[in-house]
Order: sequence, then C-alpha cells, then structure tokens
Amino acid sequence: MTFYLIAIATSAGFYLLLALALNLQWGLTGLVNFGVAGLYALGAYASALATERLGLPFLLALPMAALVGALAALMLAALSARLSGDYLAIVTLGFAELIRLIAMNEDWLTRGPRGLAIATRPLPEGLTREAAAIGYLLLVLAVVAIAFWALERIRRAPMGRVLRAIREDALVPATLGRDVQAFRLRAFAIGGALMGVAGSLYAHWVLSITPDHFQTPVTIITWMAVVIGGAGNNRGLVLGAFLVVGIVEGTRFLGGVLPGLDAERLSALRIVLIGVLLILAIRFRPQGLIAEQPLRHTPPGAQP
Amino acid sequence: MTHLIFPRRTALTTGTALIATPHIVRAQANDPIRIGSLTPNTGGGAQSGPEIAEAHRRVVELVNSQGGILGRRILLTQENDETNPEAGVRAARKLIDADRVMALLGLWASSVTLGVLPLVEAANVLLFSTSSSDDIPAANKRGLLFNFQPLNAAWAVAIARLAVRRNYREIALAGPNNDFATTLVASFRRSFEEAGGRVVNEPFFYNTTQPSFRAEVDRLLRGNPPAVFIPGYVADFTAVYRDIYRAGYRGRVFTISFAVGPQFKTAVGAAADGIMHGFPVPPVGSPAYDAFLRFMGRTPNGEVQLPFGSAGYDQINLLLLAIAAANSTDVDAVKAMIPRVANGPGERVTTVAEGLAALRAGKTLNYDGASSSVEFKPDGSLLARDFELYEIRDGRDVSVERITSAS
Repeated sequence: MTFYLIAIATSAGFYLLLALALNLQWGLTGLVNFGVAGLYALGAYASALATERLGLPFLLALPMAALVGALAALMLAALSARLSGDYLAIVTLGFAELIRLIAMNEDWLTRGPRGLAIATRPLPEGLTREAAAIGYLLLVLAVVAIAFWALERIRRAPMGRVLRAIREDALVPATLGRDVQAFRLRAFAIGGALMGVAGSLYAHWVLSITPDHFQTPVTIITWMAVVIGGAGNNRGLVLGAFLVVGIVEGTRFLGGVLPGLDAERLSALRIVLIGVLLILAIRFRPQGLIAEQPLRHTPPGAQP
Repeated sequence: MTHLIFPRRTALTTGTALIATPHIVRAQANDPIRIGSLTPNTGGGAQSGPEIAEAHRRVVELVNSQGGILGRRILLTQENDETNPEAGVRAARKLIDADRVMALLGLWASSVTLGVLPLVEAANVLLFSTSSSDDIPAANKRGLLFNFQPLNAAWAVAIARLAVRRNYREIALAGPNNDFATTLVASFRRSFEEAGGRVVNEPFFYNTTQPSFRAEVDRLLRGNPPAVFIPGYVADFTAVYRDIYRAGYRGRVFTISFAVGPQFKTAVGAAADGIMHGFPVPPVGSPAYDAFLRFMGRTPNGEVQLPFGSAGYDQINLLLLAIAAANSTDVDAVKAMIPRVANGPGERVTTVAEGLAALRAGKTLNYDGASSSVEFKPDGSLLARDFELYEIRDGRDVSVERITSAS
C-alpha cells in the first residue's frame, strides 16, 4: 500500500507541474492552452531520445526537454499570435494531436506505436525498490518546489502584474506601453518549458512511452486540477492536483465498498464522477477551492 | 484569507477511509492467495477483455467453492486497462502495490504488456498475457512473463504461406498504425519474400479514426496487385474494405479473422465473399475446449468461440496448478514450476480439480488447455499453437486449412 500511495503522490506531482505551467499560461495570462498533452509528450520524447539514442545522462536530458518544450510553445504561440479564446483553444488542441501523430508515424525516431523503452534512471542503480520509489518522489517534489517558487516570484513580480492585466484586458497594458505579444510569448514559453520538464520526469519514471500515453485525458486532468484548485492561485493547484489524481485513483476502491461494481463500470464511473465534480465546481465555486487573492501593491515611500 | 469548499479534515478522513477499506476486507479473509486480472474491458480490446475477465472470475469462484488452493481462498481483484498503456500501468500499480497480488493475468494489448513489464520486474510479480508483439521475448529479462498467444512472426508465416501456396506472388500491404499491425506487416514481408513472393508498393499504416480511406486505398491498389493483406481490427477494416470494394478491386483480400467477425459480415453483406483470413485458434472440437465452453455457459458448435476467453481460462488454471505443485505462493518457486506444469512430463490434466487430484496421488502434471496445449519455450513464449485459415463463402467462414505453427 505504501508503494501505491507513493506512486499516486509521484503522479500527482507530474500533474501538479503541468497545472502550475498551465496556471501561468491560462490562470494568470488568460491564454487557453489545450495542448498540454502535446508539450508533455515532447518533453518525454526529447528526454527519452536524449538518454537512449544519444547516450546523454539524465541531468542533461532534463534541460533538453525543457528547451524543446519552450521552443515548441514559442512556435505554437507565435503561429497563433493573433488568436485568443476559442480559436487559440482549437489551435492548441490541434497541436497536441499533431505531436501525437508525429510520434505515432515517425517510427525511425520514436518507434511509433511500438513504444520507446527507457533504461536510464535518474537515481543511482542498486537502490532497493522502496528507496527508489521514495527517491523518485523526492526528486519530483524538489522540482515541484523549485517550479512553485519560481512561478510565485513571477506572479508577484512586475511581470505577473502585466500578465494579469493582459488576462483582464490586453488593451490596458498595451496602452501603458507594454509589448503584450512579447509577454504572451514569454508566458507560453516558460509554461512549455515546465511541461517539458514534467514530461521528462514522467518518461524516466514509467520507463516505457508510447503515443497512447499522451492523449487528451492528460490535458483534461491538468485543466481539472487548475479549475478545481483555483485558477491564478498556485497554492490552490497543489490541492487541486492531489484531489483530482486522488479521485481518478481512489474510485478504484469503490468496488470494495459498493457491491455490483466491476472494473468496467468503475472506470466509466470515474469519468462520470470527474465530470460531475467539474460541473459542481464551476457552478458553486467558479473561482476554485482556493480563490486567487488580489495582490496589494504598496509603492515604495507611500504611506500605508 | 483562504476559503475551502469543505473542511480539510473531512476531506482527509474521507480519503483515508476510502483508501483504507480494502485493508478491512483483507483482515477478514484469512490470508488468501492474491491474484490480479487486468483486462481491456473498454477501448480497442473491448471485444476480448470481458471474456478473459469472465473466465478468470468463473474459475476462481469454482476453485473457492471447492476449498481453494493449499487450503487458502483465492482473492481475485479485477481492473480495466482501457486498452491504454497509461491507464494500464496505473491499474497495474494499484494491483501490485495496494492489492499485493503475486500475478497479473489477462493483459492483452502489447503496448500495455510492454508498459507494465518494468513494473512487474521491479516488484517480482508474474505476468500472463495474450500479446503478440515480437518485442516481448527480448523484453522478458527476468522470465516473469508467460505469453499465451503466438507472436506476430508466427501469424505472418502462416498467412504468407497460405498466400504463396495459392499462387499469389505479389501482394500489397497496409494496416492500422499500431504495434500489432506494424510488427505483423514487417514479419509478413520477410516470410512472404523468403517464400518467393514480392511486396509491391510501400507498406503503409493508417490512422484508425479516419472516416474514409479513399486516398489510402488508392495508394494500396496502385498498379492493381493480385492480392492485398490488411491485418486490421473490425472497425477500421470495415471502413477500408468498403473503399476497396468501391474501387472495384478484383484481387484477393487477406486479413486477420477478428477483422471479419459477425459485425463485419452484417455491415458488408455479400461483398465479404472471397476474403481469406487466419487466426490462432483454440483446438475446436477437442474435449478440453468443449468442456471450457460448457463451463462458460456456451454450446460447442464446431466454430471458434471465446478465442481469448479460452486463453484466460488456461492462464488462471495454470497459475493455480503451479501454486499447488510448488506448494507455495513464493513467486520464484511458482515461476520455476510453471513450465514444468505446462510442458510436463506428467499426467495430462485439463482442469484445476483434475490437477489437484493428480498431485494428491503424487504425480507430476502436464496441463493441456482450452486455447492450446500450453507448452512454453524458455523465453516465456508459446511453443506452438493451432492456426486456422478460412475463406468467406456465402457469408460464412469455411475452413481452408489448419496448421500448427511454431511460434
């Protein structure tokens, strides 16, 4: 059971990284990104190819995944520069599908549907299973902590204020002389880099990736974590990510409590539950479990 | 100020109670033998998964009603892998780490089997599958995996031989873009060329979700090859075949039997006539297979029924007998016992009850199954399995020939 809880916590960590990244793009800047799974896949494949094909160590593969994620996000944002709202959503969704299809069809690179086996592990060899599981969880949590800290800095910094202003009304920061497009690109690129990092950590954890690992449910769970946790608030996401992953996994145990539920019904029920939760959250708690707090800015020298 | 929709403590208590519940169930069970069944009940394998799961469940219910194994009850926990490696690996983690199973049975899609394999090796758990990817034997490093399905290479040899024997010397190849079809097409090409045939046009792989395959079919039929081989699944094959028929193709179409099941025949009607297809089949008409069908509540009718359920039945029977023969649930002891119970030498048994009786009489076993005679090679793949080749005539499958192919 301990291993299982560690595994759930580790996978919640991946979703938390994705949610933090999405929060920067959507929660803070208002850019709808349904391409989460695509950037996650790019990070995973970039890291796996770097270690398995190029023989690089994990410590070099991880930044490579971040770089690939950032570049792809930049490209995506640049291509869809003048789009917003629904139009941006569709382009990003298409992007994720494009990445999945490339991974599926370019066999020479990704081995396509046969999947890529990954032998390189970030942790030293020869650990017991327990030490390896806990070690990986700590590694993921450390990366989460760094990402959290960096994103909180951005949120509180002048850049965070501009991003929030863009979200509320892009005309206002533009009028004040801010280059709105440059800020949008930056938010997208930082988010993309973080999604790439999440993909890299995930790939070296599952040790075998196929295009099927990166389908739309990944994007949906990430969005759920942000919406339920509280868009714009990084602390809410921690709760959101663990809650959503907890529901996805915890519903398995309903079979032991409610008779007459087989595995088939349970997996359908899981999706129903998540849907109901999303509807309830949006109906009764549109700001999320932990709402975004307004930042009070006191100019230096001003009297409180 | 932070606002929570419900108190943190309530959330924690509820969550913990939910996760802790199986522990309570467990405490009452008097140390049962824990076995996991992980089948594709939804998604691409939805036609096969439920029958595997049902076979596992029925055998466990029967054995428990007869007093269990080693005086212990069998606790079978079933999960759905959704025919997706991501969901499958998560479910496998739950079975291995939360339910503490000693074996995972019923894995079907090669992608799920290959995805779960690293996990199984780390936790030292047995894995029984019906997955045909040619990558599996090499990935089975610790010998924990036993595969109840011949590999793609074997399917390819059988169908390639059939085609060449019927004087089809040129063939064009296509298939859905998945692990199964890509490795099968590669193996087919090799066998077909070895047998003196020639592959025309570059083989290509389509995406199964497309509504129409006109462009793909045009490419497939370029130069009007005398035959085509398309190892698809029923949904995509139906769509591809419709476009082949519309294109007025007069050559021979070869495929895999599960692509042309009743659903296909209803959809295309008389246009199905002339298609040739093949499949690893249970030994239809053998007493073990007929007994299996009756056990599952079916009537033996001389046709293939529950092709994957029969393999699921053999998986659970073999595992339980190996545990009984090893007199232990230690994974290494059972792992060593599986090939001895499957391959013999020993008394031929086809059910758990027969096997237990023979063990009590001090005999060794040779399990003979409903899906095949269940003999393993050292790499965990099946030694041989019957392969049946059919032609559709007047909307019915007519057996053309049956071969026992080495896997």
